[in-house]
Amino acid sequence: MAFPRQAMTIAERRLERPGLQFVRLRIDWLPYLLLLPTVIFLSAFFVYPMLQALALSVRGPDGALTWRYFQAMVGDTYFIGAIRNSLLLTAIVIPLQVTLALTIALLVHSRFRGHTTFLYVAAIPLGISDLAAGLVWLSIFTERGYLNMLLQGLHLVPRPLTFLTFERPLLLYGAIVATEVWRATAIVMLILVAGLQLIPREFFETAEVFGATGWRKLRHVTLPLLRPVLQTALIIRTILAFQLFATVITLAGRIVPVLAGEAYFQYTIYRNPHVASAYAVLIMGTSMAVTVLYLRLLRTPEEVARA
Amino acid sequence: MRVSRLASLFVLVVLAGAVPVASAPAPELTFTSTQLNPVHEQEWARTTLLKGFEDETGIRVRFIGDLAGPYIDRLVAEARAGRGTVDVTGTLHGDFPLLVAEGALRDVADVLRQLEGRRDRTFIPDLVKAGQIGGMQAFIPWMQATYLIAAHKRALPYFPAGRNPQAMTYEDLLQWGENIRQATGERRLGFPAAPGGLYGRFLHGYIYPAYTGAQVKKFKSPEAVQMWQYLRRLWGVTHPSSFLYTFMHEPLLRGEVWVAWDHTARLLPALRERPDDFVVLPSPAGPRGRSFLAVIAGLGIPRHSPNPEGAARLIEYLTRPRTQVLTLQGVAFFPTVREAAGAVPTGGLKVMADGVAAQATARDARTALLPIGLGARSGEFVPLYVDTFTQIAVQGKKIEEVLAAQARRLEELYRAMNAICPPPDPPERPCRPE
Repeated sequence: MAFPRQAMTIAERRLERPGLQFVRLRIDWLPYLLLLPTVIFLSAFFVYPMLQALALSVRGPDGALTWRYFQAMVGDTYFIGAIRNSLLLTAIVIPLQVTLALTIALLVHSRFRGHTTFLYVAAIPLGISDLAAGLVWLSIFTERGYLNMLLQGLHLVPRPLTFLTFERPLLLYGAIVATEVWRATAIVMLILVAGLQLIPREFFETAEVFGATGWRKLRHVTLPLLRPVLQTALIIRTILAFQLFATVITLAGRIVPVLAGEAYFQYTIYRNPHVASAYAVLIMGTSMAVTVLYLRLLRTPEEVARA
Repeated sequence: MRVSRLASLFVLVVLAGAVPVASAPAPELTFTSTQLNPVHEQEWARTTLLKGFEDETGIRVRFIGDLAGPYIDRLVAEARAGRGTVDVTGTLHGDFPLLVAEGALRDVADVLRQLEGRRDRTFIPDLVKAGQIGGMQAFIPWMQATYLIAAHKRALPYFPAGRNPQAMTYEDLLQWGENIRQATGERRLGFPAAPGGLYGRFLHGYIYPAYTGAQVKKFKSPEAVQMWQYLRRLWGVTHPSSFLYTFMHEPLLRGEVWVAWDHTARLLPALRERPDDFVVLPSPAGPRGRSFLAVIAGLGIPRHSPNPEGAARLIEYLTRPRTQVLTLQGVAFFPTVREAAGAVPTGGLKVMADGVAAQATARDARTALLPIGLGARSGEFVPLYVDTFTQIAVQGKKIEEVLAAQARRLEELYRAMNAICPPPDPPERPCRPE
């Protein structure tokens, strides 16, 4: 052979060994075959609708390209509010969730007595739909809700307080943040617990040999090794945060408009699939931008070295 | 060799798929509807309303309740594909012009003739006329509804002294809310202003005509400005969680709201549960009369209905006087045939029926109808009013500026669809805010 051995592909290397051609054919197709169902599924239910939504958002009834649906979206009564709320809620909720999830994950990882039971209990909100979570918290926060019953029972307030009022948007925000933190911290926590379990014990033992205390172990061993997992968790959570909708609608109606909610209302109330698609494309674009940002900001050292 | 085997397999699959179509139609009807869509009403439709038909005929009915958007998309898609799965369909009067324009419906004039030939039911002529759209009988009148006020008896002592709740004006309503607020420190008036609530109907069908005499024509008139100033004050005595209310029976039963305006079907559960606690009152009157919306729901047969004969049988069952009384008792939709109108209900329903009669027969009553002819853009009409409200009452923007901007949108909508003004506006086409 004319070229150096390292440059050869695996298949070519196999060709050098007679008798293995038969095996090569079988093995090469297997991964594609295994991927096929996923590819078909994703193409039919994600890629195709995504392209369709893209087309709906930029094509007029005559089929020509147009920006007017995006213009209609930008001119909408709720657009500015929706952008602001979606970004603001994401910026408030995600750091809270990550901090809380990391704390719980580290707690579980310390393997205290009963840590498995604790893990299961902490993961319960994972099984509850966002709408149901919204309703649960609505029944807590309404004028005749559990929170008021508790406050009145303890004689802390003379009569029920109205928490959910358009006159105090901060309280509305608080209710949404509480619900979101309760509902979606579990998924981040589970990803982090899995990540922690992947870190070999030897690292911690070595750190201890060198006299590292709890805080320094966390800072110099746990967090750097958790970085790729943290990246995944952040990407998943942020994308989901831009899709946030049912809990907000339940607790704040349209007083706190969010992007995904406006996409839904444009379709169901205004019956305008074009503007709804424009909102969907905007959400997709924002999610992609944030993902790229995370990928760059949280690059692991090897990736930086390679780049 | 291999290709031919594949081809024969394909033929087999196609044949297997075609067999059920070729044989006699399965004893099942598909019935889609935007009405009876809330979960408890769907449940009632399946287990009570349609069960009678299934027991009688042995034909199963698959009832599919849906929101207007996907509901219309499905019928239009089936019409365009030339192949249907929906046998019968029921929705609001205002949705039919679009379905007719899309060629999605059959003419049901012959079904109507057959029904009238039975001589056991007399359709109210105005409702039959409302069903004549685009030169055909697009629907057969199914149910009627309206919106009015339900009040807890606890609220009555605070009603403005010397005034009659049965002939309440908008100023009375405001004073009522204010009296309650001063006496109890709480705001106990409630409106269904959640995204799924029907507050928009209050704006375009009730208060707008009551103040300006029109739904569209006087959208930005000086009377309208006055009306919005009033609405701001009214919002000030309204429960501040109103933006979360979809069905007013819920806050009424919780005691959060004492005086609520909503659709009859969305007030009824409260009256049913505690008939002795509530009264039902006509909607208020403004300077231009006591405007209220008459809501008509109709039954149509899709053009490509797989079983039009079965569909006609189901329509016969649903418009039978006995079924109409059952519907009134079950979900508080009122009959469209005279023979059922005489049935005397009891309990909470009687309270409701008395309120409806008082509203319709009030000396200053003015009937408003849902807008029609906006075709594919029908969905934009109501949100236009709700968005105006959001900008003026919630976001606190300047009334005249908001009205001018929104009137431009309203005008563009009517011009683009070349649609006629909805009553009580004069019948102009295209309708245009002055």
